[in-house]
Amino acid sequence: MPHIEPLKPDEIRDPELLELIRRGEALGVPDALFPRILARVPAQAKALLRALLVSHAEGNVDHRLKEIIRVQLARTAGDPYFGGLRSARAKQAGLNEEEIAAGSGKFENDPRFSAAEKWALRYAREMYLNPENIDAAFYAEGKRHYTEAQIMELGAFIAFHYGMQAFARTLGTGRAATAA
Amino acid sequence: MTEADIDDGIAHYAESPRFTEAEKLALRYSELMALNPDQVDASFYGELRRHYSEEEIVELGAFIGFNIGYHTFFGTLKFYPMFAPDGRLVGQEESARIYGAAPASLVAAKK
Repeated sequence: MPHIEPLKPDEIRDPELLELIRRGEALGVPDALFPRILARVPAQAKALLRALLVSHAEGNVDHRLKEIIRVQLARTAGDPYFGGLRSARAKQAGLNEEEIAAGSGKFENDPRFSAAEKWALRYAREMYLNPENIDAAFYAEGKRHYTEAQIMELGAFIAFHYGMQAFARTLGTGRAATAA
Repeated sequence: MTEADIDDGIAHYAESPRFTEAEKLALRYSELMALNPDQVDASFYGELRRHYSEEEIVELGAFIGFNIGYHTFFGTLKFYPMFAPDGRLVGQEESARIYGAAPASLVAAKK
């Protein structure tokens, strides 16, 4: 049981919040558990869920790559909740567990990833393990593969999801489960 | 609020007379989430409940998580405030000199 009890479904009545929870459930990230905890503060829940969904499922960076990064971040954050979730859209696009595991492992030598993808995976890994390595030279390398808009999209996605994972870890939500 | 409040809140909150027990616990929540998340366990949440409602705890936790994520990202971008502590609009080079390479007390910057 999480350390903060989630609201029951019938305790949530804000239509916008309900729609955001539905969108998360349809995507698979997040399932209803984390949103129902956030729902205790509806205004913040809506802003945070909207940002989670937009940063993950929209934009100009490949969603499959973002999904690999998202799980890598959850493993860095030590969060089994977000680490156990999978994007239905990424799965439909062919993403499998082997690729996800590769993105969290020794991706630098893995031929399945392009140079651009390796940079993005390194960006996510280094951001919270060795942020001092993300310097001007690192960003210059990124600009060889991505536009500045894409780099900001990636950076903001990484920042936002890692922050929520850091919070989720402390909630003791554990392995994601369909909320009753 | 003063810079001294901020400095104490970062470095010496546990023994500082500036903060209530509830505030010290919130500061500890923030510190532990960033540096030692294993210590934010059921017992810690129980302690939080002595001072805060469930809604306030969720608000605090989400706020802290959000800031943990974003401050690390922003730190890699190497940009600085647009205004000096005295209110002048400054360029990024001057701002970098004022605010320094890492977050620090603004007491020296104001002198």
